[in-house]
Order: sequence, then C-alpha cells, then structure tokens
Amino acid sequence: MLSFLRRSYLNFSFMNPHYCCLSRNFSAALPPLLPVQLPSRMETHLWYVVPDEVKSAPLLSKYMELLPQYERDHVLGFRGDQLQKSALLARTLVRTTIARYQVDDHLDPRSLRFKRNIHGKPEVEWETKDGFCPPPLQFNISHTSSLVACGVTMNSLIGIDVEEKRRRTKNNILAFAKRYFTAHEVEHLNAIPDSELQQQEFIKLWTLKEAYVKALGKGFSSSPFNTFTIRASSGIAVETLDSPQNLTNNWQFALLELMGSHYVAICLERQETGGAGKALPIKLTARKTIPFVEDELVSGTNAVVTIGGSVTQF
Amino acid sequence: MASITRASVSMPSLSTSVNQSQRRISGMNSVSFPVSGRSMIPSLRLQRGLQVCCAAKQETVDKVVAIVKKQLALPADAAVNGESKFAALGADSLDTVEIVMGLEEEFDITVEEESAQSITTVQEAADMIEKLVEK
Repeated sequence: MLSFLRRSYLNFSFMNPHYCCLSRNFSAALPPLLPVQLPSRMETHLWYVVPDEVKSAPLLSKYMELLPQYERDHVLGFRGDQLQKSALLARTLVRTTIARYQVDDHLDPRSLRFKRNIHGKPEVEWETKDGFCPPPLQFNISHTSSLVACGVTMNSLIGIDVEEKRRRTKNNILAFAKRYFTAHEVEHLNAIPDSELQQQEFIKLWTLKEAYVKALGKGFSSSPFNTFTIRASSGIAVETLDSPQNLTNNWQFALLELMGSHYVAICLERQETGGAGKALPIKLTARKTIPFVEDELVSGTNAVVTIGGSVTQF
Repeated sequence: MASITRASVSMPSLSTSVNQSQRRISGMNSVSFPVSGRSMIPSLRLQRGLQVCCAAKQETVDKVVAIVKKQLALPADAAVNGESKFAALGADSLDTVEIVMGLEEEFDITVEEESAQSITTVQEAADMIEKLVEK
C-alpha cells in the first residue's frame, strides 16, 4: 500500500538508507540534530520509530553512546536483542526529540537529565542557569518491540500508550475485564459478538486506560483500572467512580491507528475549551523518524488514522 | 494497628489477607504486607524485632517461573529464576497484570492492584503468594 508521504529530508550526504552507506558514514561522528519548532500551546507532537527499520549496527552503537552509563546498563539489562533494541530506541527517541526543540541553544541529547516526580513519572531535569526559564515541556513514551513512540506538548500533561492491534491476551478477555475493568466496560465488551472485534476493542480500551493513568502521572496504584470507566460512544471520555454523574472534563483523548498495525492512545490535560465549554479538537502533528537520519511528516496520511476522539491532523 | 486500619480503609477487598498478616505478626517472622506497605516494614521491625521475610519455597518459585514463561512465550529452557525481572524478560504492563491474574488462579488468592504494580521479580511474586496463601 503506497501512501502519500511528505518527506522533509535532512541535509546530510548519506540520505540513502541502505546499510552499506550508513555503516560507511557512521564510522565518523553523528551529525548535529536538525532543530524542530516547539509545539504551540494547543498542539501535540507525536514522534515514532519503527525498530525493524533501524538496521544499522553502527548507528545503534552511536545511539548507545548518547546514553549515560546507567541508561546503557538499563538497556543491556533487557533479555535479548529485540528488547534491548526497542529499549535503546526509546531512550534515543526521547533524548533526541527533546534536544531538537532547542529549548536551550546548544542542547545536546547526551547532556539531558531526567528525573522522576514523586509518583515516579519521568520528567526532564532542566539545568538551573541564570536567566534560563525552563519551558513547560511535557512528554511521555511508550514502546512495544515493534513501535517506539513519544508524545510532546507544551503545558498539557500527556500520557500515551501503544499496542499492536493483533495483541492477544493469554487470559479470556471477559474474565480479564471482569477482574480488572469496570462493569460498564465489561458490558461494552460483552456486547460485541465477533471475537476478533472484541479482542481489538479490548486492546483499544486497554491503551486508553493506560494513557489516562500515565497522563495523571500518579502511578497505577492511585488509579486502579476498576476505579474509572472509559466511555467511547460519541467521542471518548473518562468517568471516575467517585463522581459518576460528572464526566471528568479535564481530560481529552485521541485514539489512532498507526500504519494499520498499531493502536496509539493519547490522553491530554484539557487546556482550553471552545464556546460553552465545548472541547476543541486535539491538534496533532505526527512524524515517523530515525534519529539523525530522517523524518517523515505522516499526519494526514493513511499512516495515521483517527479512530476515536476529536483530532485535527496537521 | 494503624497500618492495617489504613489498609482496610483503602482496599476493602483486602480483609482476608489482612487477617492473615495479623496472625503472622503475632509470632512469626514475616512482616511484609500484601499492600503498598513498604513504609510499614521499618516501623514493624523496630517495634517487634522481627526478621524481614523469609524466602518463598522453591516449589512456589518454580510455579511462578512456569506462569511467567507461559505468559511471555519464553522457551521452556529459558533461564528464569527468582531474581529475574519481569520487565527485563519483556513483560509490559498488560503482561504483568496477566501474570498476576495467572498467579491468582493458580494459587487461589486475590492480589490488589497496588501489590500487582509493586511486584517486579519472580522472587517478589513468590514471596507475596506465600503470604497470601498461608492460613
């Protein structure tokens, strides 16, 4: 399936992504990262890497060199090449993406520091320098062995979760949902007669619930999955058990189908509303990337299909 | 005890396991609660002079290993032991919850989400199971 992909080529001599060219050129140092404009207050940036498309061993070694020792150890702690590769790409993606926003003029992906908030959610630890006011940059990462994604906003808390469409649970879906989801969600799944569709709906629900908890950033124990319902009839909304009549308006959701193979759920803190409290659609820019090599702007193409929530793709 | 009170308020499904823990405190050596009670352990140690938990039986560890291998589709001869971390073996959050569900069925226990999230290794899972199983 050919889709119309708008490529923004980076100004490097080794644009041909063939293994031999990359290995020849990556014996030297990595080129500087091409800067990218920060998202505006109302925008969400989605960046993703497809691990299977990153084949160059020299390039992967260069990525490893960007990481501090404790992150390298963490990557190497994963069992097997595939897991190590997606862990490496996740760290590389978040470091290079944030560095590209050039928040601080000479931001080097190597020098970025991360910390965890009191609940364990990862955040950037900006350098405290005179005259430097850290931007309200928010990010969240999610990865499977076949996809690594990073969502970025200015100001809005964000949570993202990715999953393969064909992911199968080992347990029976309804048994699992009865144990961990809310009654309404069980009812919703139970009403789906086709088992394939039911499986897909389960995965969509799972990613939306994960995205919500990750956006909240307070850890899973503060929001067990059976304490909130995701309603996805017209639009997507979350309803917490302690205020059932009051659909929590603070959070908005997007559900995307990526490359026909993955679901990506995004949960954002609502910043502004349109007239009469009506929610404005999420403004989304999606880019597929191989750090230091190429970007493809894919929003508005077949690669990124909105299947839930109100989203405008740019 | 204040810790049990807090546990029973926040997690009503916990009553069975809380009673087990109370019996454990009175004379035994294990003080870990099946709740997010890490902060409880130091104070109990001081108050009771009890040893921190003893390791689970090998049989329990082996059963956990089997469930983990099945969930993550690992080969039967994959090297998985007590120290193995679920995440390092490739478990994402859905896998971890499924593993916990498998443990609940295998051992006929109930594990509340707070505990499920805090289990990161095979040994931790086995230790938690033994506390919940003991009657």
